[in-house]
Amino acid sequence: MELTAADVPALVRGAEVLGSGGGGDARAGGILVSRLLRGGSVDLLDPEASDPGLLVSAVGMVGATVVFTEQLPGGGEFTRALDAVQRWTGVRAGAVASVEAAGLNAATALVTALSAAGSPLPVVDLDLCGRALPRLDQFSLAVAGSDITPLALALPGGQVVVVDGGDAVTTERSVRSVLAGGGGWAAIAVGPRPLAELRRHALAGTTRRLLEVGRRLLALPDAPGPAAVAAAAGGQVLAAGRVLEVVRHRGAGEGGFGRGSLVVRDRATSALLRLEMENEYLLALADGDVVATTPDVLAVLDRRAARPVSCDRVRRGDDVVVLRLDAPRFWHEPARLDAVGPRAFGYDVDPVLPGVPA
Amino acid sequence: MSTPDLAALLHLPGWRGAVRHVAGPLDGPPPGDVVLGDGGGATVVPGAGPGTLLCLTGAVGAGAADAWRLEAQLRRAADAGVVAVLLPAAAEPTGATRLLCSRLGLALLVADEPVLQRALEAAVALAAPEVARARAVRAVSGAAGASAQDGAGFVRLLQRTLDLPVAFLDGRGAVLHRGSDPVPTAALRSGEPVPQRTVLPAGDGGGTLLAHPVLLPGVRAAQRWFVAAAPGWADVEAVADCLAVAAATVAARLGVDRLGLERDARARASLLTDVLAGGDGPDAELRRRAAAAGWALDGWHVGVRIGAPATTDTAGSRDEVAAAFADGGLAPVVVEHGDGWSAWITLPRPPAAETVRELAEDLRQVHRALRRHLRSWTGVGRPHGGPGGIARSLAEATDAAGLAAGRTEQGCFLHVDQLGVAQTLLAWTRTGTFPPAARSLLEPLGPPGSDLVTTLAAYLDQESSLVQTAAVLGVHRNTVAARVARVQQLLEVDLTDRDQRLALHLACRAVQGG
Repeated sequence: MELTAADVPALVRGAEVLGSGGGGDARAGGILVSRLLRGGSVDLLDPEASDPGLLVSAVGMVGATVVFTEQLPGGGEFTRALDAVQRWTGVRAGAVASVEAAGLNAATALVTALSAAGSPLPVVDLDLCGRALPRLDQFSLAVAGSDITPLALALPGGQVVVVDGGDAVTTERSVRSVLAGGGGWAAIAVGPRPLAELRRHALAGTTRRLLEVGRRLLALPDAPGPAAVAAAAGGQVLAAGRVLEVVRHRGAGEGGFGRGSLVVRDRATSALLRLEMENEYLLALADGDVVATTPDVLAVLDRRAARPVSCDRVRRGDDVVVLRLDAPRFWHEPARLDAVGPRAFGYDVDPVLPGVPA
Repeated sequence: MSTPDLAALLHLPGWRGAVRHVAGPLDGPPPGDVVLGDGGGATVVPGAGPGTLLCLTGAVGAGAADAWRLEAQLRRAADAGVVAVLLPAAAEPTGATRLLCSRLGLALLVADEPVLQRALEAAVALAAPEVARARAVRAVSGAAGASAQDGAGFVRLLQRTLDLPVAFLDGRGAVLHRGSDPVPTAALRSGEPVPQRTVLPAGDGGGTLLAHPVLLPGVRAAQRWFVAAAPGWADVEAVADCLAVAAATVAARLGVDRLGLERDARARASLLTDVLAGGDGPDAELRRRAAAAGWALDGWHVGVRIGAPATTDTAGSRDEVAAAFADGGLAPVVVEHGDGWSAWITLPRPPAAETVRELAEDLRQVHRALRRHLRSWTGVGRPHGGPGGIARSLAEATDAAGLAAGRTEQGCFLHVDQLGVAQTLLAWTRTGTFPPAARSLLEPLGPPGSDLVTTLAAYLDQESSLVQTAAVLGVHRNTVAARVARVQQLLEVDLTDRDQRLALHLACRAVQGG
């Protein structure tokens, strides 16, 4: 299928939902894509219908999304990262995919494809998260036992860093230290590999999913009921009502990220829904009972506009609908669940995935 | 006795002030057991089952960052039937968690460190409530034995021990001492000298008013009262026991005082007897004893007799009588004498009529003040001079008091000067022998109050005027004339004979109680 500027609003809205409260500001990515697309289009390839030998590089952005939002990049950072990893490996990518087709990164593969020299590269509807996840060692490649290196980072200051060798955790640590010293964010490109390998080790169809979710949400009337919002997003209502309390703690989480918690009182049942958050919403407790956890997507949407509210923007008094959306099936295998389940974020509870039969 | 509920636990000596109730219901079923748990664990605390008090120790959620963990813990506790959770104050939860406790019906308590100590105290109180009660009683009895406690001391001690509003009242229910909080003493029935328990209306804070009388052997009325207002959480039995211990101690102390009181009363009564018998020429020995008692035999005396029902504790109430005189600006000699008190005021010289009138008015005020507490009647004699004047004035006062007893319309107060000769005569008609004679004299006319007796009395009162009598009785004069004729016929008397008229007039007054 071809993506045009008309698809951007749906892309942004869907990316916000799968961001699970994090993943950066999808609108910033949307603005960038719109600017590069103008009257043109990008090919979004179905991974199953494409050539298994096609070499694909997963690209995206890592680091502090706030900095990114304050000063939009030109798009050149992404091609620099892609060029660097191609030079390092000596392999040219025939297409790009996304490291994380949610939040801000829902647009970065498109930006990379559109910024490539000559005609735009096609984009394969594949990514390494299937939702927003905060760390590189949570990339599906790493979790499935495949290397995520070599990878190249293009920093906003013009520097390029190639990371090769080492395990995923070491890579994550190296990348963080580079970001800490170099502007807070970077474009990232993972070394090209055949589509056949990515079919086994990555998540397919995330962009298609978020486009559908986005379109249905945008088609909702003003102030839709919680059930209508849930149906449009393809999820379930956990609570609908006012935010009673928001508490944030700096640096309490696993990766040194800030932790936080919010409580929504359901208007219909008066039940208290507590959401635990780090960069994303990770855990939901209804009246003290754990009812949903990562890797399922937990989304908080403004009740009037059905627009997702991110972890850093949610405030006391907001009138919201809290939804749970199924995680990609890829994550349901127990060994993979360990990498993205509650314990991976330091919450000492078993994953509760209502969509998965026990 | 049932085990203490949560509200009662909050008043345990160690808990008071150290443990706070922050959320959830307090009025649930009383916990049966205390279970200790590590708040940091994510698993169910073993033993935290139905009806338990779960005390979480250890790293219970390091503050609000682990609110979710605490909430999960609380939810599991509520699901298991735990009635209350005790947390260290450091883990005091935010508003949403408190709200959750209300939703779960789980009481949430927070305690200053050490939580383990609080848990232990709760365990003891729940396992053996009698121990807690025994401790309270022992605290009161121990303190009572250690030093002689007065009412005020006991009020302080009881308030400290029981943590309840306590008051010490006099025999009629007036507050003598009370602690910092008022006690709704209106519920006390001071006329019933037995331990009382009264359910208080919600307006007084509800709960139970407990009252224990301080009784002396042989004296029917309560000397003092201890009262305490026990709210719903309080251990009423412990309160009752503590009040009883306090009352017994105060009674023993009052008993000792009473002994002296009775001895003094006897001495005064015997001195008065001698003074009354001594007439105008008391011997030197009597004069010396009177002087030693502070009694002035010379001068002019105005006697006052205060009568009271035979059940009155005259020795015990003497101070109140003396106080009533003092409040009225008077300082008479007061002696317990028969069923009441004899008193007299001594003046240095013969008083002017005006002085006597003013004195009588003062005495009337004293009598009124006294009657607010005490059923009594008072007679006042005329001033008489010399040592024998005491006896003469008291005799008049006693006659007047005898008349005053039945004169409620005069406030049960009579002054001999205002009696007049006729009333003195009438007083004579109240002697034991006259009324039977009067009744037999008028018997042919029918019972007292019959038409003929009434008509005869009115006819004599109206100086034999048929017209006036008819007006007073509200009948026709011919009816009066007919009745008078019938009376003369039945009694075979001549109403024109002044001797017979006088005899009949007195007889009418006697039988009609006028």
